[in-house]
Amino acid sequence: MQTKVAFSAKRLLLTLLLCSCSVILLQSFDLSPRAGFLFHLICIAVGLAVSFLFFIPSVVIRVRTGFDFPTLVHRESPRLSPFIAVFYGAYFVYTAVFFLLPYTDMFCKKYFPETSPCFVAALLLISCVYAAAKGTNVITRFGIFLFVFALIANVLMMGGSVSSLSFGSGVVLNGTADELFRGALYFVTPAFIAVIFGFLSGFTKNFRLRQVVLTLILTGVKYAAIMFFVCFALGAYAYRQEYQTFVLSRVAHFGIYSGIESVYLALTTMSVFLIVSLFLCCVGKSVGQSGVLKHIICFAAVIFTLHTCAVYLRPVSELLTDTAVMVGFTFIAAVVVPCAYLIFGRVRLDKKAVGA
Amino acid sequence: MIKKLSALSLILITLALVGCKDSRRIENAAVIENVSVDRGGEGILYTFYLLGSGDKPRAVSVPAASFEEACALAEEAYIPNLSLAKLELLMLSEDVYREVMRTDVEYISTQSSFSPIAYVTLCDRETIRSVEKDSEVQRLIERQLVLLKKNNPSVCVDYLSIFNNLERKGEEGFYVAQISSKKELKVSEMHIYSKNIPK
Repeated sequence: MQTKVAFSAKRLLLTLLLCSCSVILLQSFDLSPRAGFLFHLICIAVGLAVSFLFFIPSVVIRVRTGFDFPTLVHRESPRLSPFIAVFYGAYFVYTAVFFLLPYTDMFCKKYFPETSPCFVAALLLISCVYAAAKGTNVITRFGIFLFVFALIANVLMMGGSVSSLSFGSGVVLNGTADELFRGALYFVTPAFIAVIFGFLSGFTKNFRLRQVVLTLILTGVKYAAIMFFVCFALGAYAYRQEYQTFVLSRVAHFGIYSGIESVYLALTTMSVFLIVSLFLCCVGKSVGQSGVLKHIICFAAVIFTLHTCAVYLRPVSELLTDTAVMVGFTFIAAVVVPCAYLIFGRVRLDKKAVGA
Repeated sequence: MIKKLSALSLILITLALVGCKDSRRIENAAVIENVSVDRGGEGILYTFYLLGSGDKPRAVSVPAASFEEACALAEEAYIPNLSLAKLELLMLSEDVYREVMRTDVEYISTQSSFSPIAYVTLCDRETIRSVEKDSEVQRLIERQLVLLKKNNPSVCVDYLSIFNNLERKGEEGFYVAQISSKKELKVSEMHIYSKNIPK
């Protein structure tokens, strides 16, 4: 089962970087088609600046106590632990389905239309249960491999689209205040990594604040690069299709060889696998001892049931893939609950006081 | 426990992915690699060229008002296992491109099965006839289109760039590839105006 060996915080944040980048891989409808590239850049900057604020409570707890949030609650206020566990259990299940739904939808629409989305979700969840049972340390090691793969995939995707670049339009700064709000809201979605950090940072050592800043900056660079190619290599065509990054991988070509959709599929599969595995680790931790297989299997079954409901019931699907609901839920999980606990629980953020 | 679960899941995956259910043999699938659009006796004629190993391509002609209608009709009445995922070239006759280019490229842009970088070219009637007679002609045209794109990047040779140029407003027009049998199937460029291609 899981090892209790502390690993480098850099490795955890590298894994979280890959998780946050997967948001743009599965992006489909949320951005305004008529907004220019500069407008998207502003949305990215605003969104990621807000995401940084979501990190503050977990970073304060980690730096001042050396613990992660659930461990702190468990040690200082054991009576509150069940309530915290129920809330975060619901959050992680919701967020796992939030990523699983577009992935299975993309998989079935773009690659294998005759496959059932539930079957794809079941296969992925089985792999995630295995990874979550192995623990955060092992998952973050896989993150290093995935980082290298993601780097190669992105170089291929963008390098292969260079010849399609056309700067005829898209540079102009057009967009309304409402579009700016919706764009920025979409780019706050990666703030969910702040909640994962709040739960798993207790396993890490040598943590520095600049690691968080660098993670968000690199996420911004990746988003900007993808938006650049979507705006200038795909143009108006991008908004006629779902999953624009998929279209980008289709357009990529080197001479007579075209389309690297299989590389894109591998990258999204591994990214979603990483996210769901980390959620299962967090969920295991929120209910008590981390890495207990029966807890992980239970939550995987709940995720699968919710996913199946969403596949067959459209209102459920709309609710589970709503960016505003996701960001609101993340705000409560990353900021409101930890801050409320620290303020109303009157917890002294001192390593000696909490016995670290 | 984990080992047993892993072994069980591996067995299930293997069984699920063997492909015995709903399989389609490659020789029964109608993979289209080229479509030509020309004026026929009863209006516009869409000809689907099937992927094959023979010297002469197997072609199925469908009279229709648009590519969307032609695809639906072809699948319903002429080619039951129609697959357009490998479509590489759309040839529009000079007689009909004004009528069909915008609607066809717009339709293709909404379909995820089509590759956005498949080639589109204008051609004369003789070129379409030579494609009907010899499979090698399509390869020759594709090679020439690759060369044209390399030598002159401003020419729009695929759906993606043609769609984006048709969507742009207030511009003079754009260049597309044109093949003429009079020039021994050499590909040249032709300037067309977006405003001349009605919606």
